[in-house]
Amino acid sequence: MFFEPFTDVIPSFFGWLNQGPLTLTIFLHTVIILPMFWIYKQEKANLNK
Amino acid sequence: MAKKNVSVWTSIPFWRRSAAWVTGFAVILLIWLSFDTLGQISMGTDEDLKAGTTKRVPAPTVINYKITYEMNKQRGSEIPIIGGKDANGTSSFEEKELFFGKEWTEEEAADLLHLGKLTSQAKNCMNCHTLLGNGAYFAPDLTKSWLDPAWDTKGVMVSMISSMLPSKLVERIEAGKAVSDEDNQLIKDMKIDIANGKMLTKEEAMAIFLRFPSSYPTHERMMPELAITADEAKGLVAFLKHMSSIDTNGFPRNFSKSVDQFKVGGSNAR
Repeated sequence: MFFEPFTDVIPSFFGWLNQGPLTLTIFLHTVIILPMFWIYKQEKANLNK
Repeated sequence: MAKKNVSVWTSIPFWRRSAAWVTGFAVILLIWLSFDTLGQISMGTDEDLKAGTTKRVPAPTVINYKITYEMNKQRGSEIPIIGGKDANGTSSFEEKELFFGKEWTEEEAADLLHLGKLTSQAKNCMNCHTLLGNGAYFAPDLTKSWLDPAWDTKGVMVSMISSMLPSKLVERIEAGKAVSDEDNQLIKDMKIDIANGKMLTKEEAMAIFLRFPSSYPTHERMMPELAITADEAKGLVAFLKHMSSIDTNGFPRNFSKSVDQFKVGGSNAR
């Protein structure tokens, strides 16, 4: 099953994210890196002007 | 507009904005995590225990319950079982046991636990032991020490302490040094118990060991005498029992594995 039932003692967003190996790490890295593409594109446009 | 050959990687504003974004996000995340943790570590109440609500850190009155430690397949780690197991393999909060011969009220249990915590800090247990992941590994990890089979009713520690008077205390009495009435009574009671072959309970044996560790040498690295009083020893045992009931996501790892090894005659003392 792709989604497992939540098994932590106290329900929490981070507990839910942390149910599989590296899931929290992958999520946080994705969330942090994605906006950096946007910053990159903006700066590229600025430099091109 | 013709495309110029520009490099964003050498652009200072790009790095400044990226650094601000990563730092800002991390700050917000850490603040969020701090508040998220509060819910995880706040202590449950006596009502939770009575209502059968599992909390990561149960109320002090958990010392009135039987505590075991069992593998939970769904969680993938061992979890403390308070008051016996229910059909789902979690705590049923039904089976109770006397602690130092009585059932402790909410206030009494909280006071006892508080005394135990202060004593553990005053005597600097963490200097040698580990408590909930904090401390040293010079002496055994105390996180789940209450569940150590050596302290079972017929375990080696309880058997030894039930059959041997604390030699340090006996020496003091024989040398005519002043000891408290309580300690005199302790020796008298222990002599009668030894004559009758009566076993001490786990908590009584632990309390005597904590007060006179060098009378019961079990390890190459002997625990020093720390001048712990009888009341403080009771508090410490309550503190240890409560700590064993805390859900630590299976820390220390492989506790039950070493228990199995211990049962087949292996030793954890190396």
